[in-house]
Amino acid sequence: MRTLSKTILPLAAAMAVALLFGCSNMKSPATTDVAVTNAAVESAVGAGGTQFAPVEMNAARTKLALARQALAARDYALAISLADQSRADAKLAQAKADSSKARAAADLLEEDIQILRQEINRNKP
Amino acid sequence: MKKFSLTLSALAVVLLSAACTSTPTASLLDRAREDYRAVSNSPMAATYAPLETQQAGDALALANGAAQRYESQAQIDQLAYVAQQKIALTREVINRRSAEAEIARAGQQRDQLLLEQRTTEADQSKLKAQMARNDATDAQRSTEAAQAATADARRSTLAAQSEAARAKQGTQAANADAANAQRMAQEAQERSTRLETQLSALAAKKTAHGMVITLSDVLFGTDLSRLSAQGMRSVQKLATLLQDNPQRTVLVEGFTDSTGSEAHNLGLSERRADTVRDALLSMGVAQSRVATHGYGEALPVAANDTAANRQLNRRVEIVLSDDMGAITPR
Repeated sequence: MRTLSKTILPLAAAMAVALLFGCSNMKSPATTDVAVTNAAVESAVGAGGTQFAPVEMNAARTKLALARQALAARDYALAISLADQSRADAKLAQAKADSSKARAAADLLEEDIQILRQEINRNKP
Repeated sequence: MKKFSLTLSALAVVLLSAACTSTPTASLLDRAREDYRAVSNSPMAATYAPLETQQAGDALALANGAAQRYESQAQIDQLAYVAQQKIALTREVINRRSAEAEIARAGQQRDQLLLEQRTTEADQSKLKAQMARNDATDAQRSTEAAQAATADARRSTLAAQSEAARAKQGTQAANADAANAQRMAQEAQERSTRLETQLSALAAKKTAHGMVITLSDVLFGTDLSRLSAQGMRSVQKLATLLQDNPQRTVLVEGFTDSTGSEAHNLGLSERRADTVRDALLSMGVAQSRVATHGYGEALPVAANDTAANRQLNRRVEIVLSDDMGAITPR
């Protein structure tokens, strides 16, 4: 029983690991995924994600950190899943920042036009 | 063992965050489907975010596939979460691109407005220039009017001056006329004075048919038609008078007494009248100014009873015409 359990347990554990996280050859895509996600998060921060989309930015950062931990723990499937979510959050944060800036610019321009129009109407004979 | 607990805690985070956005975990995918339908049906998606819509659709397809394969709820939720974030991203991209389109339109609008403003300014300055030009034209017109008025005034002055000059000439002419008239009047006066003197020298008598000068018988030889020297002197005075008064004419009438035959007396009276006429012609009086007539023994001035009276009847009467050369007929 002991030998059985001694032989079965590691096997079962190995099978469970393989079942849960897939093969160990997922290391390279997971690493790439995390790296890409890291770049996406940095890009979102650069675009002002922290200012314009703090919730998404925070989620992206948290998930990136967890993905790195999963990668370090060789839990590649989790790392990929977390990285995918983090990347989706980061991209959304960047898109929100971009659209907020574009909206602000459009509003500013609209205001400019309003002022210009008033000026023209005042100058009209 | 450490790895396993890490896996568990990671799954817990994923599930927790999924649970935060949507309480019933089963509906996370449903909500993602619903959201995707809403976004992909909007015309804005095809215009502004076709690629992002596609990617969201792909993510949703992955989640749907996981659900169809009955994969773990965690797996499905994780894929649904990613799909939903991508749908949200699609919305943000639509928002950004429509804002950018707005910016592009606004830019054009602003350019248009600036152009309009410049046009307005240009119009205004053009208007000002036009007004200035109008003012200038008005001023010029006024100047021209003033010049025309001046020219008119000058013309009027000239006209008045020439009028004055004409009037002066008229006055001078009138003065000259007056002088002439005066001179003529003086001459006429002188002439009439002289005529009177001459007539009185000839012993002229005023009768019904004008001034009559009588040359008596003594100036002719008896029964002769020749003038004596004294008779010639009287005729000379008459010739001078006629030359001084060229408009006057004379009628020379011959008369006799009743001695002798009537025919003889008529002839004699004619001859004597002719004698006087010939004497006048010889003294330079024009023939047209001298008419003659013999009356014979008719129209005596006295009775033929005595010699003295008969002598009075033997005579030549010279009738002087008026100023117009007319002689009142007897």
